[in-house]
Amino acid sequence: MKKILLAGIVGVSLSLSAQQKVEYVEYNLPNGIHVILHEEHSTPIVAVSILYHVGSKNEKPDRTGFAHFFEHLLFEGTTNIGRGEYSELVEKNGGTLNANTSHDRTFYYEILPSNQLELGLWLESERLLHAKVETTGIETQRAVVKEEKRQRIDNQPYATFIGETFQRMFPTHPYNWQPIGSMEHLDAAQEADYVGFYHTYYVPSNATLSIAGDIDISKTKAWIEKYFASIPKGQAINLYRDFENFTDAEFMNKYGMEKSVFDAKDFMNSKNPQAKKTIEKYAAMPTKIERPVKTNDRPTKVIKDTIYDNIQLPGLFISYRFPDQSSPDFYALEMLNEVLSGGSSSRINKQIVEKKQLANAAFSFAYGLEDAGMGIFGAIVKPDADLNAVQAALDEEIERVKRELITQEEFEKIQNQFENQFISQNSTIAGIAENLADSYVYFGSAERVNTILDNYRRITREDIQRVANKYLTQDQRIILVYLPKI
Amino acid sequence: MKNIALIIGTFALALIGNAQLDRSVRPTAGEAPKINIGDYHTFTTDNGITVIVSENHKIPKISFDLVMGSDPMIEGNKAGLANFAGEMIMSGTNNRSKDVLDNEVDYIGATLNADQNSIFLSCLTKHLDKGLTLMSDIMMNANFPESEFTRIKSQNESNLLSTKSDAGSMAQNAVAKTVFPAGHPNHEVMTEITLGNITREDLISYYKQHFTPKGSYLVIVGDINKEKAKLLVDKYFSSWTGGAPVKREHQMVAKNTGNRVIFVKKPGAVQSVIQVAFPVNMMPGDVNQIPLSVSNQILGGGGFGSRMMQNLREDKAYTYGAYSRLNINEDGSYFSAGGNFRNEVTDSAITQLLYEIERIGEGEISLEELALTKSSMAGGFARSLESPQTVAKFALNQKKYKLDDDYYQDYLKNLSNINQEDVLTMSQQYFPAKNLNIIVVGNEEVLERLRKFDADGKIEMLDAFGDIIVETKKADITKEQLIEKYMMAVTNSSSMSEVGKKLKKLKTVNETMTLTSPQIPIALTLTKVYSTPNKASFKIEGQGMVMQREVFDGQKGSKADMQSGKKDLTAEELDQKKKSIGYFPEINYKTSGMTYELVGIEMLDGKEVYVVKTNDGKDEGYDYYDKTTFMKVKSTNISTKDGEVQEISQLYGDFKNVNGFNFPQKMTLIAGPMTFSGKTDTVVVNGKVDPATFQ
Repeated sequence: MKKILLAGIVGVSLSLSAQQKVEYVEYNLPNGIHVILHEEHSTPIVAVSILYHVGSKNEKPDRTGFAHFFEHLLFEGTTNIGRGEYSELVEKNGGTLNANTSHDRTFYYEILPSNQLELGLWLESERLLHAKVETTGIETQRAVVKEEKRQRIDNQPYATFIGETFQRMFPTHPYNWQPIGSMEHLDAAQEADYVGFYHTYYVPSNATLSIAGDIDISKTKAWIEKYFASIPKGQAINLYRDFENFTDAEFMNKYGMEKSVFDAKDFMNSKNPQAKKTIEKYAAMPTKIERPVKTNDRPTKVIKDTIYDNIQLPGLFISYRFPDQSSPDFYALEMLNEVLSGGSSSRINKQIVEKKQLANAAFSFAYGLEDAGMGIFGAIVKPDADLNAVQAALDEEIERVKRELITQEEFEKIQNQFENQFISQNSTIAGIAENLADSYVYFGSAERVNTILDNYRRITREDIQRVANKYLTQDQRIILVYLPKI
Repeated sequence: MKNIALIIGTFALALIGNAQLDRSVRPTAGEAPKINIGDYHTFTTDNGITVIVSENHKIPKISFDLVMGSDPMIEGNKAGLANFAGEMIMSGTNNRSKDVLDNEVDYIGATLNADQNSIFLSCLTKHLDKGLTLMSDIMMNANFPESEFTRIKSQNESNLLSTKSDAGSMAQNAVAKTVFPAGHPNHEVMTEITLGNITREDLISYYKQHFTPKGSYLVIVGDINKEKAKLLVDKYFSSWTGGAPVKREHQMVAKNTGNRVIFVKKPGAVQSVIQVAFPVNMMPGDVNQIPLSVSNQILGGGGFGSRMMQNLREDKAYTYGAYSRLNINEDGSYFSAGGNFRNEVTDSAITQLLYEIERIGEGEISLEELALTKSSMAGGFARSLESPQTVAKFALNQKKYKLDDDYYQDYLKNLSNINQEDVLTMSQQYFPAKNLNIIVVGNEEVLERLRKFDADGKIEMLDAFGDIIVETKKADITKEQLIEKYMMAVTNSSSMSEVGKKLKKLKTVNETMTLTSPQIPIALTLTKVYSTPNKASFKIEGQGMVMQREVFDGQKGSKADMQSGKKDLTAEELDQKKKSIGYFPEINYKTSGMTYELVGIEMLDGKEVYVVKTNDGKDEGYDYYDKTTFMKVKSTNISTKDGEVQEISQLYGDFKNVNGFNFPQKMTLIAGPMTFSGKTDTVVVNGKVDPATFQ
């Protein structure tokens, strides 16, 4: 009996410590891929993900929407995977897969039964090394993306407000446009665009491989070595891609040597001295990514516009420029946002929806991105309400947080809310894999998944009042009024 | 020892690194992991709650999900009532105003919400006592404050307006109205009118009736054990009392013959939302549920690999995504398939959706497709087990639907046993190719291209809430002229003075009719007797028993049925009778006090009819007169009793001249979910009538 009891106690304390901290190992492969591994055996599944640090902000202004379009194309196949086979391989082996593209990153993942981890690694390494896209795939996905835009934006009431806001907030920074981009730009894309984008952004040093779930760390490392460490470093990856795609003449023209000097079966270990030398030379040439710099874009006055949409109820969207997501002030702004808009007891809901009954829904959110942030306040206005009264009511809440400290009770409340969010955020292995990758790429440390709460605990009530005054600038903001099309 | 293992590990690593890698070789799977479905505990409380506890200590968080045991109600002209009640449960209690409640919930960072049939709490372990205090308060003491009632009502009014710009909601409403027949709870959709009819008292009585411990389920998941759960349930749930849960039988679903196209206009739409839908006769846990879900998965229920996704997205690029869904629910099951498609390809997309639904019933699927689908489903099952809520949901389903103890343990085995023939049999049995409802919400420009899909070429137009758009034309005569035309038609007269003479001679009418319904096994006899000036009786008999009887002798009367016995007619009911004087009450409308107006001309079963709306001070009625013959072809009575709306319609046809008056030989009676066909057996004009008939 005693023994059993003891085991019980140990079990409890172990699980308690496990829940407090996400354990992981991380390292770099020589070719620059950053690897993060989290081992957890509660369910026999594994999430394999790769985050490429490329999003719509890396696009050329005349090729907007390209990063997202490219994400679609990277499901088309590789040198060793035929068209349509990529998803089939995952699904027929009991897995699921998808991807998403934001302003800052492109994120691919598979969730597989844990005995299919090697398959997942092979699939993602194939996507990175030598994706293959043919005309049929390009034409199909172009049309699919257009449908995606119609479904998500054009045919959704109010859905254009984010794009309209970004466009006015960031006149010079590439946050000016949305990841979905322009359909004309997609139509205009040429072969050189695809090759250029792949060769620039889909390279090992721009990839973070994050794996979580029912894995054995040393076995996983061995497979990563096999499939990812073998991917050429630096510009050698593009040399290899050209070797695969170019005709003899094209290759000769670009590199001044025959393709045949390379070993087609084992390219990286080509024995020919000229080949060896060339590979070494290109491997030593770094892949360069020119990233946009953090921007000073901000409205210098009040910009007020009216947009007519297929809606019944008017909408009001007011936006302020916030600092980027890694700025210490951003945590204070997130807490401020929680006071204003987190839960039924929040100020905006209480005052504007329930007491004054001016809006059907009213909300605010703190939009954090790598290079800049934004605070957006919105209301879907009641049919008989006066838009000016709604704006005045929102402004009154903003002025109040600038004028007075939030109450001690509110302060404790939002801390409890952040604690709850923190504990809940790592409840799935796919979520953990993504959080680890995001933390590493955006904040420079995967460890942030365990310490993020400290950032909020440091914030005082005075900080919240200070950031309210600093960022909620009534004379520098964007006001969009949505009215029904007649 | 540890060091040696490490060295060997590194060595192995180095070896792999240097080896030549043939990338065309696809990795093979390791040994299949064992799928474990977590254990759960269950117990029942003295006040009738079935409690399910699923322990999971991964994070220090617990959820309590309380699900009521009543069946949904028919809301009629108060559609949306239950939803509204659910929205208001969090509006305050006898102990806490809404502001206080909201503050206390948010203060502990908890989630506490309610809907028409459940209350859900989720919070950190350390806040559980506070969370349960709040949960049990709203469970027992919600007080539906008047001010909140007014506010949420007005909020719903705005939401209903928003529905008109949201294609997805419009499609959902149209599917509900199309797939489920009138009288089924899933058919009901809130509109501006039904919202207006809902009172605060309705919500309170709904809450009292439906939120009762008896027959309810409490599902506890997370950082807790059985002993602790028992203590907490005892502390917070044992003082909860209430009546028996309400059980209601709802009519199963009617199937249509031939494809129907249903269209909802959305001005300015750049895509059409298409849903191909039909009812499915299946309860959760049905032995066919797993094989049928394999058919659905192949068709469009899976990921990128399903036929609809491959055909409509990957091959034809008509859409961002095409899916099918099999909704198996105890309150009514249905299938729907579709997605969002640009205007230009709306008809092409329907062609392909129909093609896929037909194709899967036409031949066996390939072994490869079957294997892919089964593995994909098995994988989905395994992934779902990551959430501790899944185990709890399994336990709840097992209890609720009385599934075998091994239902979920055997799921993977049963799934793997399904063969090609099973899939074909299921598809043929459940997918009614050629008898589908094709629902399209979109721009009017696509409408004409949809006509070809409708079996009779008549597209049904619905509004945003799924109600049929009736186009009413202005009448070309006055209401007085219409009544005269009708009286002349029904009495075979050519002038009003002739009508008057004939009516003077009319003393009594004695009619008997046989009523049959596919929903009840016996034939009923309806006897109606009329005597001037205003005596009337009717009775319904079946198998020699009087099931319903109502009499009126011109001054007073009574009614009786098998459930409630005999009752005198109330003053209000007597007043109603007095407004319908005579065998043909229309002739007396001017003097009887009946309010009536000629609404206009509408289409009824392909014919133009005049519509007259009446109000006798209590009930509303609609009478429909054929525009060519002026005969009354339909009559609808709408009454409200105990908060429930009753709508009874009678359709008349096959008129026959008896002693100079035209009587219908055929009648169809539609009362809520019941439909009767009536055949007139005898009509006797001016026969002898026993005065006791009216007592």
